[in-house]
Amino acid sequence: MPNAETEVATAALPAQLSGATFWWQEGRGAGEIDLSVRAGEVVTLLGPNGAGKSTILKMLSGEIEPQQGSVTIFDQPHGREARRRIGLVLQEPSTDDLMTLQETLQLHGRLFGLRGSTLQRRCDELLDSLGLGDRAGDRCETLSGGLRRRLDIARALPHEPDLLLLDEPTLALDPDSSAAIWEALSEKVSAGAAVVVCSNDTAEAEAYADRVVIVSDGRVVAEDSPSNLTDGLLHDALELDWPSATGDDIAELERWHGVGTVLWTEDQLVLTVENSSETVPQLFQRYGSRITGCRTRESSLRDAWFQIVGRPLTDSREDQR
Amino acid sequence: MIDAAYASWALLSRDLRAVARSRSQLYSSLLFPLMLLALLGTGVSSGLAPTSPRILDGDYTSYLAPGMIAMTALFSSTFSSAGFYRDRESGLLRAMLASPHSAQTILFGKALGAILIGTIQALAVLVLAVMIPGIDLAWQFGWLGGVATVVVTILALNFMLSGLSLLLAVRIKTMQGFHLIMNLVLFPLFFLSGAFFPLDQVPTWLEAIGYMNPLTYAVDLLHYASYANSSNGLIGPLIDGLVLGGLAVLLFAVGLRRAPRAV
Repeated sequence: MPNAETEVATAALPAQLSGATFWWQEGRGAGEIDLSVRAGEVVTLLGPNGAGKSTILKMLSGEIEPQQGSVTIFDQPHGREARRRIGLVLQEPSTDDLMTLQETLQLHGRLFGLRGSTLQRRCDELLDSLGLGDRAGDRCETLSGGLRRRLDIARALPHEPDLLLLDEPTLALDPDSSAAIWEALSEKVSAGAAVVVCSNDTAEAEAYADRVVIVSDGRVVAEDSPSNLTDGLLHDALELDWPSATGDDIAELERWHGVGTVLWTEDQLVLTVENSSETVPQLFQRYGSRITGCRTRESSLRDAWFQIVGRPLTDSREDQR
Repeated sequence: MIDAAYASWALLSRDLRAVARSRSQLYSSLLFPLMLLALLGTGVSSGLAPTSPRILDGDYTSYLAPGMIAMTALFSSTFSSAGFYRDRESGLLRAMLASPHSAQTILFGKALGAILIGTIQALAVLVLAVMIPGIDLAWQFGWLGGVATVVVTILALNFMLSGLSLLLAVRIKTMQGFHLIMNLVLFPLFFLSGAFFPLDQVPTWLEAIGYMNPLTYAVDLLHYASYANSSNGLIGPLIDGLVLGGLAVLLFAVGLRRAPRAV
């Protein structure tokens, strides 16, 4: 029978932000963030670059202290003990070219107090599990981008953290590397770890997240499971190249039967519809050659984002904060 | 405490390994001062025939040797400190600071690497300089006491430089900026330290600047320990030790204290 202390430890939330606010001098950041992360779940902070995801992650990792509100890690204020339980993966691969893979993991293991055979075993296990075992003695400078990213993930794991914070871990990676990374993360989640991922990849969030937190302009604007977020959407989505579309055209489309949301980007209309095979012929019949291109797909989290935020999830590479 | 020492050791050993692998840095840091000794030392000794009483028997090469030891420590320490910027730019420093240790522990470990590397390379130059025929170091208090004084001086100098680097690193965000400032500040300081020429025969205003220069006290102590055959004309070990030791402790402590967790 578990004692009281164990029960408290089990019940502790891996991470909690309460009204946490941090604005950088140039005006970007995140404000009044309320977020609870439970053990054994993957939470994706979804938003474009500059939305405030990384600022939230920095508050969670303890790199910055909220200017208002609070952060607790396993129900304790941030500090040395909290960091002992966190594994952090930064947005950019961060390795020393002159070190070998084995040395890289050993250094970080040592910083977390691991030593001797335990350290060696953990490093070997991690390198093997991320498909890097045969490169253990190679210098980091010889690694491809994908392998470097795997090493970044491995480096966050030697001390077996209970809370993993990852900033765009699979950005621009090949499918094999992404799969290897998510496999390793899934193992950690199965073992009870909590994972918080910053991402602007809706497909990945839909596939792996238990909960998606939509972040826009430094605020949390929605938070739910991917299926709940997409529940209200009609089945199909149409992307129409229609640069000459007018406000009247959009107003008319919104009144059509079987058409849900109609959102306009610079030169593209995105519609969610009940059945694209019925709507597409009607569209061309009505508007003809004014529509210069049309793509159909199943509606997804990307459309939910569009619907909630009112603009597309772009991938501008501006401010990384 | 043990954890912090272990972490510092891990960082130190990583930096030592990096220098051992960076052969070009290793060779150039040893060859450059030796080249100066051979070319500048011989050239000035025979071409200009210096007559200053501080340059014993007009042997400028031997006079230059302690200055070259200080210069090696200076360049090596500066180069190692630039590793801070490399780690910051690569994100490695952020990853290290995400460990349970304080920013002070992480930066202490890194600074320790710079200090040790600077000291080892400076002592290597000393050993090589001693082996060069024609360089005559007097070791007025015996080589054991002299070498011990040189080691302590070099250590104090490196602590001082590391403290200065840490202070600059908080303010200056790029490696280019760091090198620019270091070159702008350290070269004039080095030229006015007594390493290249005695300060007692320069114009008074230049001499005054020289005595305000912390490096002067390191070079003076090195001359006192290894080169001079008496204390005449030197500032003396007590003042040298107090100034150098005081600045080393002060700059290093303030540098560490100002270390931010977010980089």
